[in-house]
Amino acid sequence: MKETLLGMTGTDWALLGGAMAAILGGIGSSIGITAAAGTVSGIVSEDSEKFGKLLPITAMPGTQGFYGFIAGILVLILFGVLGGKMDLPLAAGFKVFIACQPVGWVCMVSGIYQGITGASAAGIVAKRSEDAGKALIFPALVETYAVLSLIITVLMMISLQSAYMK
Amino acid sequence: MRASALISPRQTIRYGFAVGKVRVLETRAFGRATYERLLDAPTFAEQKRILSESPYGRYIEGTETPEDVERGLGEALDAFYGFLDESELPKPVVRFFRVRYDFANLKAALKARVVGVPVTSMLVGLGTLPAEEFLGHPTDLPEPFGSLAAGVEFSERDEGGVEGLAGIDMTVDRAMFAELKKCARTSRSEFLEGLARLYVDVANAKTLVRMRLKGASVTELPDVLVDGGSLTAKDVAELYYGSAADLAARLGSLTQLRGINVAEMADPSRLDVVADNVVVAYLRTARAVPVGPEPVIAYVLAREAEVMAVRVLLIGKLSGLDAGVLRARLRDLYE
Repeated sequence: MKETLLGMTGTDWALLGGAMAAILGGIGSSIGITAAAGTVSGIVSEDSEKFGKLLPITAMPGTQGFYGFIAGILVLILFGVLGGKMDLPLAAGFKVFIACQPVGWVCMVSGIYQGITGASAAGIVAKRSEDAGKALIFPALVETYAVLSLIITVLMMISLQSAYMK
Repeated sequence: MRASALISPRQTIRYGFAVGKVRVLETRAFGRATYERLLDAPTFAEQKRILSESPYGRYIEGTETPEDVERGLGEALDAFYGFLDESELPKPVVRFFRVRYDFANLKAALKARVVGVPVTSMLVGLGTLPAEEFLGHPTDLPEPFGSLAAGVEFSERDEGGVEGLAGIDMTVDRAMFAELKKCARTSRSEFLEGLARLYVDVANAKTLVRMRLKGASVTELPDVLVDGGSLTAKDVAELYYGSAADLAARLGSLTQLRGINVAEMADPSRLDVVADNVVVAYLRTARAVPVGPEPVIAYVLAREAEVMAVRVLLIGKLSGLDAGVLRARLRDLYE
């Protein structure tokens, strides 16, 4: 008889964690890109030559979705789910679920705010094309925290794999 | 500024496109160099040539008389207001801009009846109501204009004749400021609410200085001051003592009129320009808002000021006014 918590086995919890990381990161990226793209589209509608300089600003919130995706893939690979192993102990599965939370939530919030920051920074490019590099720095600062959250999630999962998957 | 206005992704998504356009269009607004060129242009034809590649080019092309210029610039202004509709700004925000012209048309219609002249040439087609509606009897206009016109006419009859055109100005202006305040409140834009209050503060400040220059008694003030500003009409009236220069200094020390040029305020020829500059300074604060209705509103108001400046320069040139006189009439720029 497998141990369960709220009717979910260890593997279920691990999968839920991985799914949440991918879903929340994806939500953050979609909203962030939409927010930045609105302003960028307005600028490009008046000055199409700025498209190339504004594309990185628009695309930058998309990285959060990738971070969540990476976390989800790591859950599948590191804990054997991809190989069909479905017997992760409840304690391990729940800890994997917890390990997925930093990247999921931080990526959702930072993706949205990176989009808003990008929308503001696009105004700099609208006024002075030559400042496109400077404009890119502000949304990049928001990216830092998404990267840190991914690092924490990866380290936690590697530790859990060492502890439970011998 | 609401904190939510700064951080809401919904605001960013809703107004992002319009703000993006504004960020580019702002770079095409006239700077000092363009105004200097228009001032220094030897002829009206040269001014038209300078404007030919600007957004005003097609509206000014073919104009020869001040009336043509008025009409052309009116169409240009209408196009700028059209940007408010394109930007999908809330209806009360659009009304805030356009309803002022309804009140101007109402004033024209009421005054034309008092003076007994046709109103046709005085109407502008920038309001929420078509200008033709003001050709009929003012009391037949839709609300709130119909009842306002009825009130004005009733008070005139009550007083046994025409109280004066100034009375119409005061009554209609009061109603206009109240309507602007209502639009601003309904729009839920703190920026617009601040602007509505500032309009009243500036109007009251101008009235006080003019009354002081005329040597009017303090007992006349309640009839001419408007409520709805940052300060109540009673508070403003308490500043009314001493010379015009002293009064200007006291007004300039008010937070609401921060930055006003006190030295020039007591000069009747500069009063309007100085007061308008306070509004321009307020518009500049909209730049601090990354995304929201504020930058769009500020842009349209800046274009409105630009149209006024271009009108002064073109009609001034057609009327043979000296460049120095025209320069003195120019407002600060939203640069």
